[in-house]
Amino acid sequence: MADARISPHALPDLKSTTDDALANYLRSLHFRQHHAKLDVRLALGYLGVAIAAATFAADYRLGWDATKRWTAVAVCAYAVVNGGFSWWIWQVEGGCVFEGVRGGKKISIASKTNKHDPTYHLAVTDAAGATREVQAPFTAWFTADGFFVARPFQQWLARSVGAIGEADAKNAASDAGGSEGGEIAAESEGFATGSGEAGGVETKGKGGKRLKRKG
Amino acid sequence: MFGSLASLQPRQLAAQVLNFALVLSTAFMLWKGLSVFADSSSPIVVVLSGSMEPAFQRGDLLFLWNRGQETQVGEVVVYNVRGKDIPIVHRVIQRFGGGSTPLQLLTKGDNNAADDTELYARGQSYLDRSQDVIGSVVGYVPFVGYVTILLSEYPWLKTAMLVFMALTVVLQRE
Repeated sequence: MADARISPHALPDLKSTTDDALANYLRSLHFRQHHAKLDVRLALGYLGVAIAAATFAADYRLGWDATKRWTAVAVCAYAVVNGGFSWWIWQVEGGCVFEGVRGGKKISIASKTNKHDPTYHLAVTDAAGATREVQAPFTAWFTADGFFVARPFQQWLARSVGAIGEADAKNAASDAGGSEGGEIAAESEGFATGSGEAGGVETKGKGGKRLKRKG
Repeated sequence: MFGSLASLQPRQLAAQVLNFALVLSTAFMLWKGLSVFADSSSPIVVVLSGSMEPAFQRGDLLFLWNRGQETQVGEVVVYNVRGKDIPIVHRVIQRFGGGSTPLQLLTKGDNNAADDTELYARGQSYLDRSQDVIGSVVGYVPFVGYVTILLSEYPWLKTAMLVFMALTVVLQRE
């Protein structure tokens, strides 16, 4: 994943790459991930697809007149299931990107971004139910041309979230590779703000070209 | 392009595929819902010929309603010839029966010289309202139906469209 390059201006790409990296990092720290929420979402979704597929098959084989009544039932059932699916995503999942257990302690992490604001917000809920919010700009772990750098991201997580810091002492210590991470952050911030200061949507391309000439 | 897919966990891949499956399912169920609402097997049809000019042109999209069983002379109906699957859009010029006996209709295209007796199945002189007619026209949108005509005349377009949609939806991570 670190080899894949994304557009550093596309907020959804930044968020989904970071979410994937977060889950991978926590799994590497031996957090056992709970998939209950995703499983319910998949179950609801594929149930709806199954209803649609059955309706299609019945209509194809038996024609419209014979299946009219069952089609009406199926349409209502599909509306209910799809409504439940949407409600599940919106309310219950609520941006949850990781839920897991390590050493008997449960952790639940939800992420969000605000429109046109390149800041990554995390809401971490621990076993006791208390929720803490932390945030950082994406520039802290993305280079200006869109490569994800794992080290500063892991350091930020280990320092900001207690449960992760306990699991990964090396990254939690402020100075461990701090200068290296700091340099990457400063570099990317410099380039990112440079292209930002150039101003406007039109010059984003120019910012990229500027970077290549210097490099 | 597919690198982003390769790095996904199996459940996440299932979720991405589900997104595309839901696009197809929802489109299909919306169509079926409209069919149930209008009580017609095909509530939206495209005009394929010029037999109803100047009222309807080739490529017009027609909206059908099948819940009015008392079809009057002058209404435009869409019917299937028995044994064939091609819908024909013509105007009712005569009606027989109705009430306790089954309603029978004779149709003719506005732009045709003769009535539809030649078009009906062998031995059939009139349309049966409850069996042959799939609805009366209650509204139309001009030209939009040309997309459907293109898709049926060049079937590879359908496949190309589906593949393009699939790639777009499955690779999108929003």
